[in-house]
Amino acid sequence: MSIVAQDVERPRVADSRRRLRVLGKRFLRRPMAVGGLLVVLAFVVVAIFAPLLAPFGVGHTDFNAVLAKPSSKHLLGTDDLGRDELSRLIWGTRASMQVGVLATLLAMVVAVPIGMLAGYYRGWVDHVIARLTDVLLAFPFLILAVGLAAILGPSLLNVTLALGIGSIPGFIRIARGETLALREADYVPAAVLNGANDATIIFRHILPNMTNTLIVQATVTIPGAILGEAILSFLNLGPQPPAVSWGTMLQEAEPYLTQAQRLAVYPGVAIILAVLAFNVLGDGLRDVLDPRTTR
Amino acid sequence: MSAASVLEVEELVKHFPVGRGLVGSSGTVHAVDGVSFELREGEMLGLVGESGSGKTTLANCVVRLLEPTSGSIRLHGRDITHLSRRELRPLRRSLHMVFQDPFSSLNPRMTVGEIVAEPLRLHRLAGRKTRESRVIETFERVGLGPEHRFRYPHELSGGQRQRVGLARSLILEPSVLVADEPVSALDVSVQASILNLLRDLQRDMGFSCLFITHDLATVEFLCDRIAVMYLGQLVEVASRDAIFRDPQHPYTQALLSAAVVPDPAEQRKRRRVVLEGDPPSPLAPPSGCRFHTRCPLHDLSAPQSDEVEPALREFAPDHLVACHLVAPGTPAPRISGVEASVA
Repeated sequence: MSIVAQDVERPRVADSRRRLRVLGKRFLRRPMAVGGLLVVLAFVVVAIFAPLLAPFGVGHTDFNAVLAKPSSKHLLGTDDLGRDELSRLIWGTRASMQVGVLATLLAMVVAVPIGMLAGYYRGWVDHVIARLTDVLLAFPFLILAVGLAAILGPSLLNVTLALGIGSIPGFIRIARGETLALREADYVPAAVLNGANDATIIFRHILPNMTNTLIVQATVTIPGAILGEAILSFLNLGPQPPAVSWGTMLQEAEPYLTQAQRLAVYPGVAIILAVLAFNVLGDGLRDVLDPRTTR
Repeated sequence: MSAASVLEVEELVKHFPVGRGLVGSSGTVHAVDGVSFELREGEMLGLVGESGSGKTTLANCVVRLLEPTSGSIRLHGRDITHLSRRELRPLRRSLHMVFQDPFSSLNPRMTVGEIVAEPLRLHRLAGRKTRESRVIETFERVGLGPEHRFRYPHELSGGQRQRVGLARSLILEPSVLVADEPVSALDVSVQASILNLLRDLQRDMGFSCLFITHDLATVEFLCDRIAVMYLGQLVEVASRDAIFRDPQHPYTQALLSAAVVPDPAEQRKRRRVVLEGDPPSPLAPPSGCRFHTRCPLHDLSAPQSDEVEPALREFAPDHLVACHLVAPGTPAPRISGVEASVA
């Protein structure tokens, strides 16, 4: 008595880089996402190479050209103190991108472990964390950030802290939900049978499987923080002169709205572009990384 | 008569409380309700039963992914019923499990080489070099090439994934392997090759295996002894030949009559016993014999079977049956139309 059959299936020819290629192809099929990525990359390059790209230093003033119109010397003109607008926009890019990325990183570093603990252990741990998250969520994001920035005092670092803390509850919820779902996969009990402890299961088996979701959430949080920085700076809670960000540029342009609208337009356009680009990129990544996507 | 047992399960009970919220009825799911059996050295014990009979819960208790409500589990004589995760860790070397779904049981972010090496790594059993050679060796054993090590699970077919699952379970050469429906998620064409592999591996490595399935043909092909489960309890435990030639419990008789015989001429001559209704809810199992609500022989066994729970008693040497109609030397009446199929 014997049943004889061969494995007739063949592996789908592949090596590990194939998946990346497939993802890349899918991404390229989405022009909006590609555009978003290009704009984001442009901003990042400008932020990193600001010292090389900016024609003038942060605090450089030219009193021979106050509120000057665009010219060959000052491509975008100057402000009320004769500071070169192009240079300020470039230095501002650096500050704004820094706030966006660092605030998001801060939120992730704090929130992901907390959310994972809640989702993994459930029970009272989950209850305590969920209630605390609810308390944080009860404050609107901006009110919370404004309050924190007011308490901490105006500076770029404090704006980053305030926006980072404000972004924590969202990340906690996402990390918790993902962990709840992923711990039901059979590879978790399999790891227990292998002799794994909780740390191994959380860091080796659950965390790597939620990176896609975290990346998408980050691309949504970064523009939120950039916008938040602009708002806080406009309320004079941001970096103080001579430091410059898109938000402080807007704030300083406000008294001259009737004489030199361009002072408000430059940072305004930059903010809109950056926020839009990140959001479009995030949308595209969400589609591409979703395993149910076939196109 | 019998080889030494590596795993002894006694009066195992696992209840799940449900509906503890403010609204809705609350109750207890009697998933496993007083199950006793032993797994002997080097044998393949088949556990059969329909969906919801508590097979998987029993398996999860045996490998201590769940803590039993009561009863005891002894592995090589050591009581593991209530050991903590930490206390269990060193014992995990001799106990592993193959999961039903090879798509969910392999971490998609690890190469299958890493997956198979994990038990070695976690038990600190081998250095990097030896680990690698042990993985290659185990891959060979389950019929995978060494080059498969660098693949990710999604790049493998279902059959290959289940081979990886087997490799992970066997790399530490455990003495007990629990296989929870290891082929039911696979294509029929691949099922046989995995079953053959499991049988060959067991012969070579000599582990004892608790094989859980709802497929009688599989059990007949693979197992030395068979335990039949109904609604959280064992109704009959006997050697394969005894079960297939001379089933005693009315449930076993009905189950066997539902199995398809490979010969169509033979199959046409057979009559199926169709049990009435669905299995009762494990939330409120029937009193007395759990099978009495659907038993075709209920006329003969009433009223005793409605009130008294039949114990699992020895009907013949190494043949246990839990039925009031069966006593040592007194076989159960045949359900009309069912003749014993010859294994």
